[in-house]
Amino acid sequence: MSLTSGRFSWLTVVAISASLAAGCSKSGLESSFVYSAKTDSLIPEAQSGIKGQAGVKKMVDDRFGNPQHLKAWSKLPIDFGGVTASVGETPSGKAVKEILLQFEEGITSPSGDAVSSVQFVGGAAAGETAAVLSWDAESGKATLVSALTGSPAQGDQVVIGGGEVIRNGRVLYQRHCSHCHGTSGDGAGPTAEYLNPRPRDYRHGVFKFTSTNSSSKASREDLSRILKYGIPGTYMPSFLLLKDDELYAIVEYVRFLAMRGEFERKLVTELSVDYSKASVADQTASGTKRSEIIEALTAFLTEDFSDVANSAGDELAEAWSTADTEEALVAPTVGRVADSPESRRRGRELYLSKCADCHGVSGEGNGPQTTIFEKLPDADALYPEAGLHDEWGNVTKPRNLTQGIYRGGRRPIDLFCRMNEGIKGTKMPAFKTVFSNEDVWHIVNYVLSIPFEAEPGVSPGSIAPATPVAPAAAE
Amino acid sequence: MKKFWAIFFWFWPVVALVLCVMAPSQGWWFPGPPGTQMGERIQGLFELILGIVTVTFIGTNFALGWVLWQAASKGDDKKAFYSHGSHSLELIWTIVPAFVLLFIALYQMDVWAEYRVQSFYPEETKQGSVAEFMARQFEWRVRYPAIGETLKDEAQPGDLYMVNELHVPAGRPVKINLRTQDVQHAFFAPQLRLKQDAVPGLIIPVWFDVPKAGNYDVTCAELCGWGHYKMKARIVVESQQAVDAYMRKLQEEQTEDGFVEEAAEEE
Ligand code: HEC
Ligand code: HEC
Ligand SMILES: [Cu+2]
Repeated sequence: MSLTSGRFSWLTVVAISASLAAGCSKSGLESSFVYSAKTDSLIPEAQSGIKGQAGVKKMVDDRFGNPQHLKAWSKLPIDFGGVTASVGETPSGKAVKEILLQFEEGITSPSGDAVSSVQFVGGAAAGETAAVLSWDAESGKATLVSALTGSPAQGDQVVIGGGEVIRNGRVLYQRHCSHCHGTSGDGAGPTAEYLNPRPRDYRHGVFKFTSTNSSSKASREDLSRILKYGIPGTYMPSFLLLKDDELYAIVEYVRFLAMRGEFERKLVTELSVDYSKASVADQTASGTKRSEIIEALTAFLTEDFSDVANSAGDELAEAWSTADTEEALVAPTVGRVADSPESRRRGRELYLSKCADCHGVSGEGNGPQTTIFEKLPDADALYPEAGLHDEWGNVTKPRNLTQGIYRGGRRPIDLFCRMNEGIKGTKMPAFKTVFSNEDVWHIVNYVLSIPFEAEPGVSPGSIAPATPVAPAAAE
Repeated sequence: MKKFWAIFFWFWPVVALVLCVMAPSQGWWFPGPPGTQMGERIQGLFELILGIVTVTFIGTNFALGWVLWQAASKGDDKKAFYSHGSHSLELIWTIVPAFVLLFIALYQMDVWAEYRVQSFYPEETKQGSVAEFMARQFEWRVRYPAIGETLKDEAQPGDLYMVNELHVPAGRPVKINLRTQDVQHAFFAPQLRLKQDAVPGLIIPVWFDVPKAGNYDVTCAELCGWGHYKMKARIVVESQQAVDAYMRKLQEEQTEDGFVEEAAEEE
């Protein structure tokens, strides 16, 4: 890693060596994260760096590590686990073997075996991880196995037992998810190719079924709901029986993989205009010398790349932490409109005007839009097959609404979110600028009645008391 | 050395005897004591069959050992005795097992009837099923009727949905409709000693009466695909009040419209 400019981020990345793999790092169980196809489209110098300057791959590895040695980039809003503390009374001199730790108010000093390592996040010893020989919870004195190289100062940040959550998440993820979603979260595990729809590739940082508004990421709550209840109508199973802390750890790990993928994509985007294989071929064809291009690349990597990485990290941090705030949450301004034949009729009218094009007049998901050939996103050509494509280049059929299976959940609020905010990463658009909240509720009422229609548009005779808001709506 | 094999074959019946006595009495390899009265009767049948099998195994192995011992004790000059083709022997080992099987078939009939034949089901289950338990690659989808309604075979607008978890009241017989959406699966609740295949196209009623509140496992007992092992679910048995409260909670969740009064006032 180049020093100077890259220093800040480096110091805040803490290695979490997986205790599992310690001592058997060359075992057959070793796995690694793969890089995206976009990274592979760059010239080798941009991928792997040049003249000691980090390229995309090293940038990513330095901040995220590999499955056996995960790294915690503290900038990111991920709970890696562990308790934060600060160094107390300054130990004097070099070769410090004993330190006093202080905890913020409200954090209880961990006891006994929980304190197996201390990682220095800030100060002169930053980046060091020291094994703890003995720990006295009362005084907060940690005796280290071996002396530190740097000398910590009072107030330096440390993490005790860091990485527990993410490490646990990794183990559970490998066991339950990786055969579909892949070790790197690329949606290409060994069973993936037999599934339709395909398992999600997290690396775009896009999730379809969320309760956040159309420009926000998925919240932790959204991911945890998906895990608990599965995605009906697809191969994504329910993991309801996992314990809460297990679900929590898996969610953090999924977010970690998503952010890793997004970070990589952001770096590549920065480089691909000038340094993709295709672009370099074009430039050399028009007379630029390859050596000149490489020189420019070296300069860019030396001077700007760390900043690029840092601001990419900031963007990620901002976006992912916002998703967990209330502002990001979809909040209808009116409650669900009572489910009545009038409401459904209104819903049907709106449906025919805006939805039937994709979902079909009778809701079977066979509207005329499904037969067109779409343009490829970054080429001047058409997709080879007809249909609506999603973010990942897969054909997604508009849902067959006559079946009453809703992948993102069947609560009225779930359907409200789908329609008001769209389904992220797919062609299902957000209608919040088109319809009032009230109208969206009319459509929700109509959509929920489609499976029970005798004929398209003929409202079913009886209406079950589906909503306690309007018990009078029954018949 | 020749006698080694005789002793070898006599050794196993002794092991079998120890295991077949210890396993049911000490509960080795059993998923706990049977959780239901029906389970106890099924356990009884199981033990009976285990007994018969143990006796048969011990008998045949002792006989095998005895034959070997006999032959080993004789001098090399004795000619072997061929029993092959003996009509009476054939008759014996056909008729004796046939009677044993016939006995088992007759003996288990009342348990079978109560467990599987609908007209013998307890009265309480005849009002309908509490839920539909739908197997699917690779999970169990549960559908309850709306509160106060009865379960229909077809989905109804007010139905309540859950996955991998079934709540039923303790202390009274309840019935569920076992179905599958795709391939064949099998509903297996080991602690309740219940096992029933789910067959595509059929709605199979399964009843049980669990006296003790608690969580009971469900797994799939029919190799149904690569994700077979994932098909774990649980039956939560609790008081009727707790079940009612659970249903209300489900209904509340499933009618959630995300509307918060304050949020609107701020507008
Ligand atoms: C049998 C294969 C399979 C397994 C195992 C599996 N998934 Fe999935 N998963 C899928 C498929 C298929 C989808 C895509 C469904 C869709 O696009 O509608 C998906 C989608 C997702 C999504 C995206 C939801 C959204 O809103 O976009 C997340 C998150 C997810 N899975 C997490 C997990 C986690 C975590 C595990 C392990 C605990 C897991 N999955 C196990 C197949 C699987
Ligand atoms: C441009 C085409 C398009 C239009 C217009 C469109 N949809 Fe969709 N819709 C889709 C696609 C594609 C999906 C499937 C997305 C996926 O799961 O990958 C979908 C999915 C859905 C779902 C399923 C949600 C779930 O949880 O399973 C519902 C409900 C839905 N649309 C309702 C509507 C309604 C109501 C309208 C009109 C207000 C509408 N759609 C307009 C394309 C469209
Ligand atoms: Cu199965």
